[in-house]
Amino acid sequence: MKQTLLIKHAVSGRLFYDSRKSEIRYAVGEADGGWMFRIETERDQTVEELLKRKDELNVFIFREYDDQPTLKTWYYVGNGPVQYDDKQSLLTIYAGSRIEYYPHEYSE
Amino acid sequence: MIRKNSAAERHVTDLGWLRSLPLYSFGDYQDDSRTGFGVMRVCNDDYVAPGRGFGAHPHSDMEIVSIVLKGRIRHEDNLGNVVVSGFGEVQRMSAGSGVIHTEFNDSSEEELRLLQLWFMPRERGMKPSYEAKAYAPSRLDGALLPVVSSHPGESGAALIHQDLTIYLGKLAANESLTY
Repeated sequence: MKQTLLIKHAVSGRLFYDSRKSEIRYAVGEADGGWMFRIETERDQTVEELLKRKDELNVFIFREYDDQPTLKTWYYVGNGPVQYDDKQSLLTIYAGSRIEYYPHEYSE
Repeated sequence: MIRKNSAAERHVTDLGWLRSLPLYSFGDYQDDSRTGFGVMRVCNDDYVAPGRGFGAHPHSDMEIVSIVLKGRIRHEDNLGNVVVSGFGEVQRMSAGSGVIHTEFNDSSEEELRLLQLWFMPRERGMKPSYEAKAYAPSRLDGALLPVVSSHPGESGAALIHQDLTIYLGKLAANESLTY
């Protein structure tokens, strides 16, 4: 199974993170009734741009399998919180809910 | 500040199957000086090739209006809605806390042209909803017809969760309207 993390601006589609294009040290797990993303990164331009748009994020996990269809999970960040910790060089994104979907189940 | 944007200066995104003219930052067009006007965040003039469209993707906290100018669009979402609309019909989707949908040109022969308009909602985290409304195209002639409104009343307009009304009108050459 191949797992991809994708974070984009929900309105303009601007890409912040795509683990297919560059290595991202991250973890995601359940927390406080939702899900917490922890991304290890230096405070750079991407972090600054993301924080400016922290109320409008689309966060995805794609799971691609050899023997079954790709499962996409979209996380509703809403008002987050979305924060950056300079001491730990850690970006945290909290999502209160999520929707899992199989793209192939929708007609084209 | 009000800035007049001429049609000629609009960015054009051409993906082969999609030719899109966004007024504000969208997709490959990113301009931090053009990210919306008031509550309007997206204003795309889209031309979609026959049988092509936008695969399953999410939206949240956005009022999304699709106005078909030519051809037919097929909308499908995880709320169970499957609707085909043509000229004379308007679709409104309130993404709220999250919705997954697709939009495709329902024709295998005719190009689809539609306006995609996104507005910030009055409040965030609303329950997602969708509706499609029809109007008689003849009512556009020399008039401003409300097709989406926060107070649709008996007008037949679609309900939007924001303080705005979208009017459509069709004017003959040299004809004018006073609003």
